Amino acid sequence: MVKTGIIFFPAFDWSLGESHPEREERLLYTQEQIFEEGIMDLPQIIQYSPEVADIFDVLRTQAIFPDYRKHDLDAHLIAVGSSLILGRAIAKKELTNGFALIRPPGHHSGATVWDNRGFCTLNNEAILVNALRTEYGLKKVAIVDTDVHHGDGTQDIFYNDPNVLYISIHQDGRTLFPGTGFTEEKGGPNAWGTVVNIPLVPGVGDEGFIYTFENWILPKLEEFQPELIINSAGQDNHYTDPLASMNVSAQGYGKITELLKPDLAVLEGGYSIQGALPYVNMAILLALAGEDYTGVVEPQKPKHKEVSGEAFLSFIHDLKKQHENAKPNWVFRNEKYFPSGEWVYSEKDIFYDTHWFRERRKDYIRKCNHCGGTVLLLTQNLETYEKGAVIRIPFEACEVCEQAGYDLFDTLKEREKNIILQNLSKNKVTWYTGSGEVNFG
Amino acid sequence: MGYKIGIDVGGTFTDTVLIQDNEVLKEGKILTDHKNILDTVLMAIDFLDLPRSMPLEHITVSTTLVTNAILQNELAEVNLVLFPGSGVKLSSFKWPVEYSILSGELDYRGREIKAPDKNEWTKLAQELSSFNGNPRIAIVSKFSHRNSIFETELKSYLEKIIPNAHIELGSEWGKSNFYRRSLTTYLNLACTELFSNFRENLKKAIAARGFNVPIRILKADGGVFPLEKIRPVESIYSGPAASILGALAQSEPEDSYIVVDIGGTTTDIGLVLDGSPLLSSKGAQIGYFLTHIRSLAIRSVSIGGDSSIINSNGEIIISDYRSGPAYCMGGNNPTPTDAMRYLNFTDIGSFQKAEEALASLLPENKRQPKTIKTLAESIIEQMVGKIIQVINQLLSEWKNEPAYKVWEVLQQDPDYKFNVYLSGGPATCIAKVFENKMKTKVITSNWAPVSNAVGAAMAKPTFSWTLNLDTSLAKYRIEETGEQGIWKGAKRPYKEVEKFLVDIARDQSLEMGIDFESYKIEPFEYFPLVENYRTIGQIVRGSVHLPPGVIGRISDG
Repeated sequence: MVKTGIIFFPAFDWSLGESHPEREERLLYTQEQIFEEGIMDLPQIIQYSPEVADIFDVLRTQAIFPDYRKHDLDAHLIAVGSSLILGRAIAKKELTNGFALIRPPGHHSGATVWDNRGFCTLNNEAILVNALRTEYGLKKVAIVDTDVHHGDGTQDIFYNDPNVLYISIHQDGRTLFPGTGFTEEKGGPNAWGTVVNIPLVPGVGDEGFIYTFENWILPKLEEFQPELIINSAGQDNHYTDPLASMNVSAQGYGKITELLKPDLAVLEGGYSIQGALPYVNMAILLALAGEDYTGVVEPQKPKHKEVSGEAFLSFIHDLKKQHENAKPNWVFRNEKYFPSGEWVYSEKDIFYDTHWFRERRKDYIRKCNHCGGTVLLLTQNLETYEKGAVIRIPFEACEVCEQAGYDLFDTLKEREKNIILQNLSKNKVTWYTGSGEVNFG
Repeated sequence: MGYKIGIDVGGTFTDTVLIQDNEVLKEGKILTDHKNILDTVLMAIDFLDLPRSMPLEHITVSTTLVTNAILQNELAEVNLVLFPGSGVKLSSFKWPVEYSILSGELDYRGREIKAPDKNEWTKLAQELSSFNGNPRIAIVSKFSHRNSIFETELKSYLEKIIPNAHIELGSEWGKSNFYRRSLTTYLNLACTELFSNFRENLKKAIAARGFNVPIRILKADGGVFPLEKIRPVESIYSGPAASILGALAQSEPEDSYIVVDIGGTTTDIGLVLDGSPLLSSKGAQIGYFLTHIRSLAIRSVSIGGDSSIINSNGEIIISDYRSGPAYCMGGNNPTPTDAMRYLNFTDIGSFQKAEEALASLLPENKRQPKTIKTLAESIIEQMVGKIIQVINQLLSEWKNEPAYKVWEVLQQDPDYKFNVYLSGGPATCIAKVFENKMKTKVITSNWAPVSNAVGAAMAKPTFSWTLNLDTSLAKYRIEETGEQGIWKGAKRPYKEVEKFLVDIARDQSLEMGIDFESYKIEPFEYFPLVENYRTIGQIVRGSVHLPPGVIGRISDG
């Protein structure tokens, strides 16, 4: 029998503001619906209780600036901790699959964190994936993001990681926050092709999503052969969502879940708290538990016109072609103090919409044929001008890249006052605070 | 004044006590006659040999009547009528009987999405009136705890056509969970006649003995309720609750401990935290029936003093069944009691018989005193080990209760030092073994054999009132009673809601005839309701409880 774990953590005492979409009320009706339906009483559903995550699990994956102790992370750490509990139970084969029905969400939170953005501070799925790779030796993991917004944070964290496939299907960034997630974003120099972005025109519904899953996403997963599939299960593709313009139904979400068969679904966005969430959450949970979800019918009907049929098919084929034809355009830049090797350089600004400021990021990746390559991220908060640096030594790093990481750390200490060294190979995080070092792990 | 009678009808024995103020004056144990629970209760009263018309404060009965009827499927026929709306397929769940499905749908706030089809009602009424006698009809609609309109309208429609019908509504068990609400309503209706026969006959028989005394029935949540007002299905699982109350009545008010009540075939394990028994976060499960019956968090394990011991391919195993009394007490099977007798933990029963019983489990060439002693010790170890395993499960369940708020997750459980409180027949015999294995203090009850009856006699009444207020729809509901009404207060109320609920609860407890003094208010939850970035009202949830407890502490005697 299928065993489906659920953690329901609605954070009923946490919000980003009383009338903010991410408010106490968000999962209230979902709770009413799933409790009334008696789903928790189905024999294959096992309810787990939430826990607070350890900060080390966070810092392994995300560098929090200027100092993690200056952020109010309580609610976020519980969302992470809840994902970890289910993820570990799945890795231990106690469960067939699971659903972390939690707030707050996480997929806009990237490798460097200065604040909340897109309602997210900590990236639940990314922290989980790296924890499971560390603890259970998982090699290849796929994250499929079905939130209507591009999961730019998750993409940022795994952009240079050849062993994590990140697929995001979302509303085109030209029409929606965060404005990224285009077909040519396909991964860094050592991980080219492990990021797949599928930006859809507004109006795509069940038919288009199911077609895209069957003809693009599932074959891609089949080719990658992940040991674990995580679904960033945002629910704002629903036709009643107030922030987006797609046309997916609750049953459509059920069907997507049934096709994808994720090991773990983690709730992301979705802000139609009355019209969609109670029904979409149910459909996802029932689909995971192997129950019939075709009885789940939301009371409202779609309002906008659906993009389907021939129009959709020609659109999606063009999009896929664009993705396949996209070629890398690396720029190399070796700073004087860099260890040997070729370092690919890129630069971007990240917008923090919650408190309205920008972060400047300069990324350097050591090109490597043996491992994922050591990464250097230089970051600056453009509001306070505070700076920080992250050095990430990848999982199963080759000796040269690992050494490069430590050499970089030593030389960088003369130039930077706030450096976080993430050694994923050795499961160690070292935080250089300008006056000394703090070790985690 | 101040005389109280407590009676606990157990699986094998029925315990009875007479208590004056805080002192046990008389105690007794009689065999339970499962065929006739009423007679058993009366015999237990008569056993106390009280003068006719003696002034009594109350008689409290903990009875297996309804529990047994449900477990043995001696349930009256009930027509289950459901308004399931959309959602999970009914076939995903197990149902006790065929059900009729009617159309009409409400949403999670009790708003009507789809109106019922009155043609279906006409057809249903025809079908139901074709039955002989008085049909029992349980009507349950999804989300009826938020709006009982479909249920009440169908009820008044059917009552006009079938005036002799006995109809109960799901909204009277108005907690969230349509499936549990349906089964609870069904079970209650299916046991109503059985229970009312018991009630009427018990009242008559007690009056015939010259006692003019309130009769109270013990519930699964460790509280009592007046015989006249209790809903039959609430009387399930009162035995295990009685053991927890027995421990409460014999310990300090603020203590924390694990209660272990070892019976003939079953051991019940519960938890008391700072003097309050732990309640289960879910309703009781009886057989395969999942209900809304509030119950104490109790784990039962099929092991006791009379469990049969068998030799299974050379392995000595304590089975999960009883085949009569212990060998040393004249039975036919070796049991843990024989091991206790052989080790001289007790001097009741025949030592020689105990030795014979244990020897029969060993090959002939190994029946020396030393090996028999080792065997006896390993049996006790096995028994205590199994109980401790379940204690640990209960503790981990308690620590892993779901939490829905940040502060609940952040809050650290106080570091309890649990003692073990042992009761039941074999309790005193194996206290030492427990102490060694659990490395904690083990307390045995002075009234261990009749601890449950003491608990019943000393129990306080319990009830809960859970409010759900939607100020935007101007509606409030009290979940446990099914009361639903119009809210005339503010859109964004604050403290006045607490008073509103306490007033309702106080009035209703007066009506039920239960004492309201020891009520507790749970922290209320306030959810601002936002539409189009504007706050348009509030959903308020909160509850008032009369928690389980005892009216006094029994002196050591």
